[in-house]
Amino acid sequence: MNTLVLLTGILFILMVLIGGRKGIRSFIALFLNFVVLLFTIFIMLDPTADPIILTIIASTAISFITLFYISEVNSTTKTAFISTVITIVILIFFIMYVTEKAMIQGFGEEEIGELYIFDLYIGVDFVKIGTAMIIMSAIGAITDITISIASPMREIFHHHPSMSRRDLFQSGLSIGRDILGTNSNTLFFAFFGGYLALLIWFKDLSYSLGEIVNSKVFTAEILTILCAGIGIALAIPITSWITSYFLVKRREKN
Amino acid sequence: METIVNKIKKITYKQYMLYSILALCCAVSVFFVYHNYSFYERTIAKVTESNLEHSEEILGRNNNQDYLFIQQIVAEIKNGNEKGQNIHLTNEYSASGAYDQEYHAGDEIFVSIDENTAGNTELTGAILDVKRDKYIVIVAWIFIFTLLIVGKKQGLYSIISLAVNIALISYALDVYIHTSNISLLWICGISAILFTGITLLLVNGVNEKTYAAIVATLLGTFLSLFITYLVIMLTSANGLRFEGMGFLTRPPYVVFIAGLFIGSLGAVMDVAVTMSSSLFSLYEKNNTISVQALKTSGIEIGKDIMGTMTNILFFAYISGSIPTLILYLKNGSLLTYTFSINLSLELTRALAGGIGIVITIPIGLYTALFFVNRKRKRL
Repeated sequence: MNTLVLLTGILFILMVLIGGRKGIRSFIALFLNFVVLLFTIFIMLDPTADPIILTIIASTAISFITLFYISEVNSTTKTAFISTVITIVILIFFIMYVTEKAMIQGFGEEEIGELYIFDLYIGVDFVKIGTAMIIMSAIGAITDITISIASPMREIFHHHPSMSRRDLFQSGLSIGRDILGTNSNTLFFAFFGGYLALLIWFKDLSYSLGEIVNSKVFTAEILTILCAGIGIALAIPITSWITSYFLVKRREKN
Repeated sequence: METIVNKIKKITYKQYMLYSILALCCAVSVFFVYHNYSFYERTIAKVTESNLEHSEEILGRNNNQDYLFIQQIVAEIKNGNEKGQNIHLTNEYSASGAYDQEYHAGDEIFVSIDENTAGNTELTGAILDVKRDKYIVIVAWIFIFTLLIVGKKQGLYSIISLAVNIALISYALDVYIHTSNISLLWICGISAILFTGITLLLVNGVNEKTYAAIVATLLGTFLSLFITYLVIMLTSANGLRFEGMGFLTRPPYVVFIAGLFIGSLGAVMDVAVTMSSSLFSLYEKNNTISVQALKTSGIEIGKDIMGTMTNILFFAYISGSIPTLILYLKNGSLLTYTFSINLSLELTRALAGGIGIVITIPIGLYTALFFVNRKRKRL
């Protein structure tokens, strides 16, 4: 039997056993997100399609599925959705600038040996593809932090309906601070796990510190970690502001 | 009243000190990476002039259209015996830039200098690589300041725990490489315990909530690893393409399992902390809350985080393959081949991490209940 099939089956059973109906929805959302990602990659093969615009559309679709399909369409998921999209758009331009400046696009010396059979002149813009890669690695974490802030903020507002926008914003920030550490850790460890082979490689081949910090592969991976961390941190004030703005606006309307 | 004023003064003074020290460190380190040429043995040159000499349209093997450019570069050598002299370089680059790039005035590059045999007065050479250290330092500072401004104290703790974890992982790998008889899995197991302890105590503080989270994390990680290991054994790794793994100097299987272990640790910690913090806060709000009520709320919280948490790992792993997938597909590789060779291991990691996340929900719930009950009995 195929390992992946059995693992997928186990994950599905666990999600159903523990999550019930919501577990099933979470599993389907995971599958749908995978389809969106693959679909995006296929469109990226077309050199006339701009990978940046594609990434923004794909991120919107992914956060749409994650927020609205698993939970439901309500004011919390709506503000979380808006906050995710805004964070992604701000982040994408920063990352593109960094990728272009540090020239970390494409493949490094250490990877190229295995890829020599391929034609590298394939007409797509690797700076933009690299940017898309970094953004996509962080999209899950950013969606998670926006919903984790927006949801308790609504609870607080519900219990203290006369709160001012400034106080609400401050409470959003403080919720965000509490989850910042564990949320960024999730991503950092995921990256560490993925980079383990590379780290052993550097140590086994006794690279000097100077060679490591200037190599394309290492720089690309460190910058991915840092940019994802910046994105998570930025999502906190953005979500707090947007959620407090909408909650207070709705109160004034009534 | 006076004490409060003093307290505020004290805090702001402390913060003022912290920020000035950080600003100083930032300025010194940025200045350093812009002037550290003499620390490198490899020759560094700074591009002063670049001229496009030639451009052509090319059609690749699979009808991929691209553009090739050749530029002539004059650069000033920044270190070594030829310091201060100009060097002439030729750079060939493509519009797509998978393994090359255009250079502009101001870019710093590592070069090799050709031996002067023809008696030319001009130095010539070849471009080896880009000097990237300054970008790491600058972005690292942006990261540090963003986390501090947004996260304040918690931001500081996240930065410290990231730094400690990097140091720990680097040390653990040193131990692994220099002692041939210790298995990587043992090293990762011990590191996992240290990672969990250090990170959770730093991020979550020294209290019962943290102890519950540490116990739940360790149980969850080891159980999910055991399940994954068992599945791989039972299916004899059918469908896993280890040849798709890059950077191998060691047996791929061990490196893969170790990476999987560390990779899911962060997510499992997150779930364990969420479960224990929320159950403890429910208990603190209402000391007489029944075990049944705690269980129901715990499962509800678990259901809420399950979807987004599995998503985090999923995207963190799969997205890394985007450039390679595009390269394969653009070269006309078969879809099934491309996916199985590039995604089978990443998907396994994501699935194993997902199993870890989901399984930690009940584990976290019962561990937190155990600690809550213990606290209740003591009262």
